[in-house]
Amino acid sequence: MELKKTPLFECCEKSGGRFVDFHGWYLPVQFEGIIAEHLHVRSYAGIFDCSHMGEFLIHGHDKISHFSFLTCGDFVPLPIGKCRYTAILNTDGSILDDCVGMKLDEETLFVVTNAGPLEEVSSLLCNSDVQAEDITQQIVKIDIQGPLSLDVLLQSGFDSQVAGLKYWTGGRFEWNGEEIIITRAGYTGELGYELYLPISIGADIWKQLVSHPQVKPCGLGARDTLRTEMGYPLNGQDILPGTTPLMASMDRFIDWEHDFIGKDLLLQQKNEGDYRVLTGIKTHTRQAPRHNQKIIFQDSEVGEVTSGTYGPSVGVGVGLAMLDKKVAIPGTVLQIAGRPLQVEVCNIPIYQNGTARKKVL
Amino acid sequence: MYPEDVRYTENHEWIGEEDGLYIVGISEYAQEQLGDVTYVELPEIGRHVRQKEPVAQVESVKAAEDIYAPVTGVIVEVNEALEGEPELINLDPYGKGWCFKMDDIDTAQYRRLMNREAYEKYLKSL
Repeated sequence: MELKKTPLFECCEKSGGRFVDFHGWYLPVQFEGIIAEHLHVRSYAGIFDCSHMGEFLIHGHDKISHFSFLTCGDFVPLPIGKCRYTAILNTDGSILDDCVGMKLDEETLFVVTNAGPLEEVSSLLCNSDVQAEDITQQIVKIDIQGPLSLDVLLQSGFDSQVAGLKYWTGGRFEWNGEEIIITRAGYTGELGYELYLPISIGADIWKQLVSHPQVKPCGLGARDTLRTEMGYPLNGQDILPGTTPLMASMDRFIDWEHDFIGKDLLLQQKNEGDYRVLTGIKTHTRQAPRHNQKIIFQDSEVGEVTSGTYGPSVGVGVGLAMLDKKVAIPGTVLQIAGRPLQVEVCNIPIYQNGTARKKVL
Repeated sequence: MYPEDVRYTENHEWIGEEDGLYIVGISEYAQEQLGDVTYVELPEIGRHVRQKEPVAQVESVKAAEDIYAPVTGVIVEVNEALEGEPELINLDPYGKGWCFKMDDIDTAQYRRLMNREAYEKYLKSL
């Protein structure tokens, strides 16, 4: 199958991107180098082409209510301009996709989903009572992340009202007469904004941002090390078929007050309490845990590494692991099977100095 | 880019003679493929190894890859500088980024490894 290219492919190629296959998309894994890009985002600002992700509009109170029935969160009472992280569920309560929803106005919910299960999600959201509008093909998504990202946006001609956005809020803005959506959110732990742009202006904005002296183009590699240091899960890797929101440590994103698909099964799982949970892990050297490695405690297998890499900002190996609850306690030291490597269960975020929540006004 | 005076394996190690010992590292192609090297697990000094036996491991942000003994012989020295500065492998794979030195090697095996011309041809076939 031929790989799909985003509308920013030429821009990324010109910026020196090295491309890989990511869920059927031809996307840049790195430009200058993963560590250089990672550290640049933590200190300055980086931009990411995230146009492979899915975007939907859900119109009307009833449809928003139908959508909430498919997720572990309730979007009906969500205030205008607020974002909420949630999971779209299968009938058995397992996660089909994790996603973010934002109330654009009283009658409109904007939903952003992952590239992996996009076809299935689109068919579910558009063909059910939700009657969502799939606008993925019309949108270029650029994430700008890093402590200087607001300064860069303001110096690049973006509406000064962007500065008024608090963490996990967003709204409609204008750029040269075109309507765009901006949320103050991201996947790196740093101050950052996600720009949802009409295709016609996507490349212009990429070029404008990348020409800023404090901005570097960044690839999927840095995106992965940045999110792993924060303990953010990646669907298809940390969240697999059968993983429930409880197993994904999404407890605080489950609204038990509202009615939703698979709720009984989730309640049962919660009450029985005998399940594995996604947990942060770290090493004490530069050696990293790796995806799929089995984890041992007192001679028995207690889980496996779902994500693992060297964490450039913490200087040690970091990762996420799906672990038996009894060992998923910070401070517990576990053995990687077949390797001379120990990992310690740790709190999330592993990197504690992110600027995502900082006051900008 | 690819020095003339060393020999290469299909797994992208290089081995060259220096002061009577044989020095081993990974090639420019291998470091480029790996990306930023973050950790190197070096072999034990004095270990007798057979050709193609995994003896060390090099980790990058993206992956962990084994380094195999290019020939049968004995490990006599390791590059301890890599413990603090694994990025030397990226910066200078044929110089400061060497991995270990071998002695008492099987010289017949050494002579059968690829020279630069053959290795470059091999890279093109990948």
